[in-house]
Amino acid sequence: MSALRAYRVLELAEGVAGEYCGKLIADFGAEVIKLEKPGTGSPTRRLGPFGGQGPEGERSGLFAYLNTNKRSVSLDPADPAAADTLRRLLARVDVVIDDHAPGWLKGIGLDPEQLSVTYPKLLLCSITPYGLTPPDERRHAEDLNVFHASGWGYHTPTGADERRPPLNGAGRFLPSYEAGLEAAMCIVAALYEREGSGRGQCIEIAAQQVLASRVDYVLGQMVAGDMDVSTRRNAFDLFGPAGIFRCRDGYAYIWMSAPSHWDGLRQLLGDPEWMKTFPERWLERECTPERVAECRRHIAAWLATQDKEPVAAAAQKLGLTLVPVNGAEDLKASPQYRHRGYFAELEHPVLGRSLYPTVPYRLSETSARLESPAPLLGQHTAGVLAGEGA
Amino acid sequence: MTQPARGGPLQGVRVVELTKVWAGPYVGKQLSFLGAEVIRVESRESLDVTRTFGVADIDKAPGFQAVNPQKLSVQIDMKKPEGIALLKDLLGKADIVVENLRPGAVKRLGLGYETVRQVKPDIVFVSMGMWGSEGPLAYQTGYAPCFAALGGVSLLVGHEGEAPAGMNVRYADSSFGAAAAYAATVALLHRRRTGVGQFVDVSAVECMSSMIGDTLMQSLLGGATPLGQGNRNPGMAPHGVYPCREDEWISIAAPSDEAWAALCQAMGQPGLAQDPRYRTLAARKAAEDELDGLLAAWTAGREAAELAAELQGVGVAAAKSQSSVDLVADPHLWGNGFFREVQTRQGEPRNIVGPSWKMTREAAITDAAPRLGEHNAYVLGEILGLSGERQRELTEGGITR
Repeated sequence: MSALRAYRVLELAEGVAGEYCGKLIADFGAEVIKLEKPGTGSPTRRLGPFGGQGPEGERSGLFAYLNTNKRSVSLDPADPAAADTLRRLLARVDVVIDDHAPGWLKGIGLDPEQLSVTYPKLLLCSITPYGLTPPDERRHAEDLNVFHASGWGYHTPTGADERRPPLNGAGRFLPSYEAGLEAAMCIVAALYEREGSGRGQCIEIAAQQVLASRVDYVLGQMVAGDMDVSTRRNAFDLFGPAGIFRCRDGYAYIWMSAPSHWDGLRQLLGDPEWMKTFPERWLERECTPERVAECRRHIAAWLATQDKEPVAAAAQKLGLTLVPVNGAEDLKASPQYRHRGYFAELEHPVLGRSLYPTVPYRLSETSARLESPAPLLGQHTAGVLAGEGA
Repeated sequence: MTQPARGGPLQGVRVVELTKVWAGPYVGKQLSFLGAEVIRVESRESLDVTRTFGVADIDKAPGFQAVNPQKLSVQIDMKKPEGIALLKDLLGKADIVVENLRPGAVKRLGLGYETVRQVKPDIVFVSMGMWGSEGPLAYQTGYAPCFAALGGVSLLVGHEGEAPAGMNVRYADSSFGAAAAYAATVALLHRRRTGVGQFVDVSAVECMSSMIGDTLMQSLLGGATPLGQGNRNPGMAPHGVYPCREDEWISIAAPSDEAWAALCQAMGQPGLAQDPRYRTLAARKAAEDELDGLLAAWTAGREAAELAAELQGVGVAAAKSQSSVDLVADPHLWGNGFFREVQTRQGEPRNIVGPSWKMTREAAITDAAPRLGEHNAYVLGEILGLSGERQRELTEGGITR
């Protein structure tokens, strides 16, 4: 039995954050009903990557990834003619997930302020860049802006050249995925409470805060006054020779912070002359910029002659933390990912048979499962609305 | 001595942490902020290094305090059999246990899932490993930037045409913790409905891959994996970070032709919106170097926060790239309760990073991180029901301190 099979969720979200949240819950068995505007559907249907051949709107790999195990109902919640149907749906679901701008929910008759009166048993989760009461100068944001408002942007990458622009995080939607994950956790925790109390509540997720909380180890020290704040781009950094280096067939990341790592490197390199000029515990006690630069120069020259996988395997055996910098192809070939079944296959009517990334946790009794592909636009309209007597 | 009721959705849930550094403690922090009672089991004999970084007083370590507010601490020597027995008694009274010790360490301690199930059949046992608890690479260990490199994240961050630069070195531990915390709440809810506990096996590397799921999807559908694209985005132009006065930076994104037209208006060059070189997304993507040059020249003399506010006023998505000074001074983060004040045991105020969320009925968050063994008496006396005499014996025997 899947853990969330007993719950019904109405997804009003049209962005990556809300759709990812809905997916995390749907993959545990909840019935997630996605409302999509008739004719056009979710905006994520028009974002790549695209595959297959077929109708526009059904070829998006992004939509396919974000909407596994969901049902699609063609209904515009903002259309006054749909108001009755929407009310009936709202009366019969446990959870609503939304990621529209502040004010939108009130406009469709679902005012968060009035929730305890209008739908006292409903859990309403709103995911926005800055929360439901943003200041005027924070009304519009894409993921790039959230990344920069959270502090991650200014401090990416580590060891940045301060004359060049800070860099965006990985991929297009990392802030949305982080926010969607946080929202899913809060929803499930609130469902847990509702089992006892029978009461709904409003959950408000601000993506800026989710991201900022992901650097709590540093930011917590800063806000407590234990660590200096500054306008330095390296204010989050750790110092030392760690970093990404070019190999013969790609890149590897090497971490060095302790004598055991230094010792592992010495064994791997066969006790080279240059290492003998360094003090034994320099990494901890005498980590000067000159030594870091010299160490990095030697590591770079050496790794350029190595292949990432074999050198990483040899390093791990010696206690040196060196890993390949993987790309999608490496992950598809990873024996560990195969062992855990991280990629799972689904057949989609337009995209065909393909592997999909799954989720990073395995539960011995109720693991998440990909049971059905993302729905075609409006695929379940008749069935779901008939079930509602609507 | 009894812990005050704090409310929140997980009130009444007891979590025991066998965790170190950041990722594991982050799970406990999330659950504690949701109302759970979170007890860190710590050993003076194998201290969490964050209790010792940079300070002589293990009760005042800044990094430890940053990630462990509102938790309880019991000191039990896990290198002694009596300590392990005591810990098993505690697990018998727990709902969730979270561990992120080295691969195989909990089993060597005699605290693996199969053993713990004997004393607490419906326990939710959350195990965190770089690659998860089983499989050909499960023996490997690493730090946060290794998770990001292995999971496919680092390769995607970089200037176009250059070697990958990777995320900031701090990325990955907390995201790993957040994924584990979500899985733990799911297992907890399942237990509430069915009475059945389970083993929750979380992989840090997979957590990183899930933060780039759509990029992986592109490759799985037969496309090429994009490498670092600087600040560019295939679906928007402009989409970048531009220089402002005094080494400040501003992020600007135009998701539509309308947003681009509004930006042109703000630049005082409304004609650009109709210029065939920039009128459509395809045109702007084709002339993106030139476009970014135009914007950078315009932003260069401006103050970033002021310019962001001005752009917001005309509906353009813009935000100052916030430094650590900007972050701790961000009035919205204080106003929302994201930064908030708690009390140390000595009654001194201390600022913390609070929960990212708000909810109608949330947990009270009042306490700073615990001193080592601060809650020995509560855990041993109230939870385990040991007499004062027995507690003294344990202390004299060096099992607890």
